Amino acid sequence: MKSGVLKRLLPFLTLFVLFISLSIASENFLTTTNLSAVVRQTAVINIMALGMTMVIIAGAIDLSVGSILAMGGLLGTMAMEKGAPIPAGVAVGIAAGMFWGFANGFLVTRLKINPFIVTLGTLGIVRGLTLIISNGLPVHQIPQGFSYLGEGTVAGVPFVLWILLLCAAGVHTVLEHTRLGRYAFAIGSNPDAAYYAGIPVAFHTTAVFAICGMLTGLAGMIEASRLMTGQPTAGTGYELQAIAAVVIGGGSLRGGEGTVVGTLIGAFIMGLLANGSDLLGISPYVQQAIIGAVIILAVTVDELRKRKGV
Amino acid sequence: MLLSLEGIQKRFGGVTALRNGNLAVAAGEVHLLMGENGAGKSTLMKIVAGMQAADGGIMRWQGQEVRFLNPSAAAANGIAMVHQESLLAPHLTVAENIFLGREGNSFLVPRRRMMEAAARLIAEHHFPLQADWRVERLSPAGKQLVEICRAIQHGSSLLIFDEPTSSLSEAETQEVFRIVATLKQRNVGVIYITHRLEELRALGDRVTVLRDGETVHTGPLAGLSRQELIRHMVGREVAAIYHREPVAPGAEMLAFDAPGLSFTLRAGEIVGLAGLMGAGRTELCQEIFGVARHYHGALRIAGAPRTIQSPGDAVAAGIALITEDRQRTGLARGLPISHNTTLASLHRVSRGTLLDHPAERRLTQDFIERLRIKAESPRQLAGRLSGGNQQKVVIAKWLARQARIFLFDEPTRGIDVGAKVEVFELMDSLAREGAAILMVSSELPELIQVADRILVMRRGRLNGELPGRTTQEEIMKRATFGESEQAIQ
Repeated sequence: MKSGVLKRLLPFLTLFVLFISLSIASENFLTTTNLSAVVRQTAVINIMALGMTMVIIAGAIDLSVGSILAMGGLLGTMAMEKGAPIPAGVAVGIAAGMFWGFANGFLVTRLKINPFIVTLGTLGIVRGLTLIISNGLPVHQIPQGFSYLGEGTVAGVPFVLWILLLCAAGVHTVLEHTRLGRYAFAIGSNPDAAYYAGIPVAFHTTAVFAICGMLTGLAGMIEASRLMTGQPTAGTGYELQAIAAVVIGGGSLRGGEGTVVGTLIGAFIMGLLANGSDLLGISPYVQQAIIGAVIILAVTVDELRKRKGV
Repeated sequence: MLLSLEGIQKRFGGVTALRNGNLAVAAGEVHLLMGENGAGKSTLMKIVAGMQAADGGIMRWQGQEVRFLNPSAAAANGIAMVHQESLLAPHLTVAENIFLGREGNSFLVPRRRMMEAAARLIAEHHFPLQADWRVERLSPAGKQLVEICRAIQHGSSLLIFDEPTSSLSEAETQEVFRIVATLKQRNVGVIYITHRLEELRALGDRVTVLRDGETVHTGPLAGLSRQELIRHMVGREVAAIYHREPVAPGAEMLAFDAPGLSFTLRAGEIVGLAGLMGAGRTELCQEIFGVARHYHGALRIAGAPRTIQSPGDAVAAGIALITEDRQRTGLARGLPISHNTTLASLHRVSRGTLLDHPAERRLTQDFIERLRIKAESPRQLAGRLSGGNQQKVVIAKWLARQARIFLFDEPTRGIDVGAKVEVFELMDSLAREGAAILMVSSELPELIQVADRILVMRRGRLNGELPGRTTQEEIMKRATFGESEQAIQ
């Protein structure tokens, strides 16, 4: 009981301390404009990281999310360019993401190839296809109203924050309150035991990948809305940021561990570090090194705690 | 004294594993270490072998106070341990595992010499192994034999065996006892953790009994009765021998039919399945449970033909398999007891599509009490329980599922006397409630005590059926020899 509370509190405390420190260090930090910017910047990675949390809990990994994000954004904006209404365009982006997530799951479970290898492959395939489809050129002819998705405000709060909270609540519910979530934990903790308990392991693994792809497609549309272009090169390297958010939030790459709240905190810690560095005039080169160090530090603390047997 | 331990203490978080561990071993002595699961035997020995650090107490090695910070420090002092759970590198060969960390000082690994030395060692003890086999392909028993080879090859002065025979066949067990006798002759000290009281009587000199992390008895083995020993271990009297009153069998629950391998299980029956290692007993369980097809047999459930192609199908047909390797296929060690308990029966603790957490906790708490699982709460991680309690959680998973046909594959492996009796009682009450049970076991006395009738397998075929009240000799005869050879016997 005690250890569970402590485990949940530690990342939260880190975020809290970071928040307070930045408020003191920079007068520009605690302003609506700045905080909105942080939320908007973080939301894309955050939504991807939610899907990644499920994949990592199920003992797998998805390296292809950066490429899927680009394809989702591209196909969605292309649909709008061709005259589709905005919601239909967003749906196209989400469906494209879901398709590739499903493809990942299918390859992992049917060909029984390690997820790292499968998604390393699809990372290349999807990026390549996106560039072929777009001929390497971004989509610009997008209806003005589409910018609302990434830049709009509802009740004084960025629209993307509402979307993020909705997604987070959804993923949390799936993980903690449905069979799919429970089976994801079981499969990640011990796939053989899950199989011997009669669980359809392949089906649930594929479902987890498909949900991750779906969320990534949505993140792709948000990214496209913020830039108001469908960029075939969008999202490069995002997969590592999403994985980092999960890991900082207490997810284990060995599977069977991870929480939505942890991942949210992990993503915001990275977001605040980037924002804080900007405000304090720390160069982006140094930022990268700081975030890298934070990842190692977070995992070290987590491992030490586990080894103590708390 | 070669080794003496005084007042050793060890805590894991809030759990005290050792309160007051005392033990002394002389050179050339075979010292038995006994106690129930969770009594702290393995922990005490891991401290001696440098795998864990003690929180308190004194360890003396050849009169000097020592503290081994890692396994190589213990090894350098001549202490080796044969572990209960396999600590081998699965992708390396048998030979490479035997010599792991002891390849010599040259930059290149002397592959050929290692192979030859390993082959000699294996041949000397007639182990069914090959030096160039990859360890991942070995059965639990095979891995255990590799562990033993590894421990004996480098001339240690103290060898610790942590229940080495629980997964071994009769012949292999005898070979291990012979090895222990030879070590004793060579003036090596041996600490032997075991649950098998009688077999080691001839071999052991003294015995130390741990209970709840405390040494409660130490003394010569001669003159110590089985009853006294059990009383020390359990702290209360238990029936020395389990005795089951068979019930009149009911309707046919399961029928399996393959060439040379046909049998039925009826409601209320406990059917034993005996055989040597490699006779194909585990494979039979796997086929019935839909994991793999070895015999391509036809299956009837409750009289109706049924095809089972996956564990999912088997579970839907009311079949449960308690596997022989609970760490690998039985338990999600990193998840709470509650998640493990309800893994196969989440529909029972769901409201619509959502899980009902309070109902899940209640169900788990119910099983914790019913099966007397020693746990702090349903939220405790399953991996933190002792072997016997882990096995109870695995059984609870199938009770929660309300399975009707139970396949128990080596259900008492690595379980202490008290927990064994509890498992038998559980099987008995299941049978009385109308379940059909197939019990695979290499522990012949247990089969004879528990089973109503005993099927004997030999090389993938049935080689006779015996009544429950049979003798070990009868079973061994059928397990070892074919029909024609039996006639000569």
